[in-house]
Amino acid sequence: MDGQAKTILQRIIRKIPNKKLEVTLKSWDRLSTEQLESLDCTQPKWLFLENLISRCGEKRLGLKAVTKLEMVYYIDNPNQGTWQAFQLMEAEDDAVSVSFTQFRERFKANLEEDFRHISIRMKKLEDGAIWIRIAWGDNFRKPNHLKPTYVVHYLQTPYVFFLNFMSKHKPFLYEALFRATRHTSIKEAHLSGRSLTALRDLVMRQYQQVFPTKDRTLKERNGTPLHPNIEKEHAEYAERRHQMACEAFGDGILPKLERAVYKLETRYRGNSSNTLNDKDELFRGVVKFSSSNLLQSFHHCVATGIVEGPVTPLLSSITQKGKNYFVITDKVPGATH
Amino acid sequence: GHGSARQVALSPRSRSYGRSCVEPPSLFWQTPGRLTALGQRTPTARGAAKAYNITVRMYTVALLVQNEWKLSYVTPLYRFQYTKLKLYSRHLAAFILAEKQQGVAVEVGMEAGFRVTFSAVFGLAEKEEDAETVFIQIYSKPMFAADTPKMVWRGWLTCVNGDPEYLRSLPPDFVSLPLFCSNGSEYLTARVKSWFGRTFDCSFGSLCLSSATLNWLAALWTGCHPTCDIGYLKLYWSMPTQPTLDVEYTVNPHDAWELWNSICAQDGAEDMVSVEEVQRFMAGLETHLFRHFKIYLSAGSLVKVSTALGSAHQDGKIKIGSSDYITTLLTLLTECALLKTPV
Repeated sequence: MDGQAKTILQRIIRKIPNKKLEVTLKSWDRLSTEQLESLDCTQPKWLFLENLISRCGEKRLGLKAVTKLEMVYYIDNPNQGTWQAFQLMEAEDDAVSVSFTQFRERFKANLEEDFRHISIRMKKLEDGAIWIRIAWGDNFRKPNHLKPTYVVHYLQTPYVFFLNFMSKHKPFLYEALFRATRHTSIKEAHLSGRSLTALRDLVMRQYQQVFPTKDRTLKERNGTPLHPNIEKEHAEYAERRHQMACEAFGDGILPKLERAVYKLETRYRGNSSNTLNDKDELFRGVVKFSSSNLLQSFHHCVATGIVEGPVTPLLSSITQKGKNYFVITDKVPGATH
Repeated sequence: GHGSARQVALSPRSRSYGRSCVEPPSLFWQTPGRLTALGQRTPTARGAAKAYNITVRMYTVALLVQNEWKLSYVTPLYRFQYTKLKLYSRHLAAFILAEKQQGVAVEVGMEAGFRVTFSAVFGLAEKEEDAETVFIQIYSKPMFAADTPKMVWRGWLTCVNGDPEYLRSLPPDFVSLPLFCSNGSEYLTARVKSWFGRTFDCSFGSLCLSSATLNWLAALWTGCHPTCDIGYLKLYWSMPTQPTLDVEYTVNPHDAWELWNSICAQDGAEDMVSVEEVQRFMAGLETHLFRHFKIYLSAGSLVKVSTALGSAHQDGKIKIGSSDYITTLLTLLTECALLKTPV
């Protein structure tokens, strides 16, 4: 094992928590059962690493195997940084019939044309996700395996997710994706977060959605008659708030989004007694909502009345549009409300 | 002696709440029955923020600016003398070493000893009644003489624009420096507090900042904008949801000032800021957000306020971003400390 491979192996091992070492090495599938058994995952990392390096030596494993280990770990633990969602646009007629083999060949060929030194690994998972690891180099430098870009794409869908990518590589990556997926343009989805699964579930709507029921609209149309039993009325209110929360943010286990950011470029909206009302200038600001599960928090806000219903489109757009970054402007510039 | 008398006066009251193990939320702490140095006299108006104008001891003031400080209140110090700072330095160093040698310390590490410096920071005091600020630095002496001592802890006691009536009412042997700010390990903070307690018969308590205090800071800092770029006005709320929702609102400094100015312009009283103006300013910001998101921020609590001039957290941690307007901040914090100081 050469110096570079050792450095990268060290970086990966340092990243993996002790309790996940065994599982990861098993799914790596490069060491024999005896070799795995000879390793003690409870050892201090530096000692464990020394032993691992010597096992890798026995098997003559090199850089390629090491990068595979990293990929195996990332696939099982994708929360390694901030993922950004993108959407491919303007599909060609044959986009629907692209196979994994075609995708792989076109993608690799395209990037290898542009870069003399580049390392691309690709793997298709059972759920249809294609995982791509790219270590970038250039004409003079070997690929930098310390800062690889990860790309996840689901074939026959327009969605692509990027982790650790630099703007200088953007045009090349886009071009390779266009050729491989048969699309002609791409746009930022304005959706990002640590949980890749959450982003995917959100854009592909893989969570329990609730739609407005006829029953409810009927009830509203008839208006709620003043009920003698106040408790029942309260229960109905609570029920309605819960329904609104579900319609806006879903029900059950919700995608684990951590934040939503709104850039406000609107005029000041105070109450009538407030000042600034006559001003045409913008009241600029940024509002950032964050939580360990944002949709769950918003759901709770609506259900408990902290957020007044019906839910404003600003908040429901997170699920409706699959976005968590918004720039908000007044509808008609120059006009007063 | 005076000490026992004060303790007798202290203990029944601190027990009378019957929930002394739980730190009460600062908002409800000012119950009518509680006696504090300032009683119920929370000011309803303050002077607008004024730029701090000092030429002396800029170096020490610069030290105050760099760090995050944990706040506490301190009861008046008995027989504290500015002429004995050198003696205090030696005593505190010896005290910490002795405590360490008793085997109490585990986290302090491999030091041969401590060097402590007490110094007075002249120029921060505003009124005649204000005692001069005392700045303390603790260095650990390394085992090998060749290494330079490392600063491991720093803290200061201050009083800026303290209530003159209260300060004048103190017996002559007492010095009131009600605000204690510390930066360093909890262990050393506890040692310093314990040494002060023994030497000057004083006691310390944690100082949390109420949302009313944070509101004042937001408004006073915003008011500085025309003369000193505040960079941004950031407000942080924490909402009681499952899981907790954090709301962070960054307002453009100029636009925040425009709002503040339009509120102040209505009242006309120059150089004085009233609590109503502060409340209207904060309500104005909350309303703006409500009009967009229909969220009732009042259901949660304001936990932090920050601008380039500084930041203040509900849990009693502050940062001073610039020495300009330091007086305004310290006046407010001195008052908070006096409001919590038991008599």
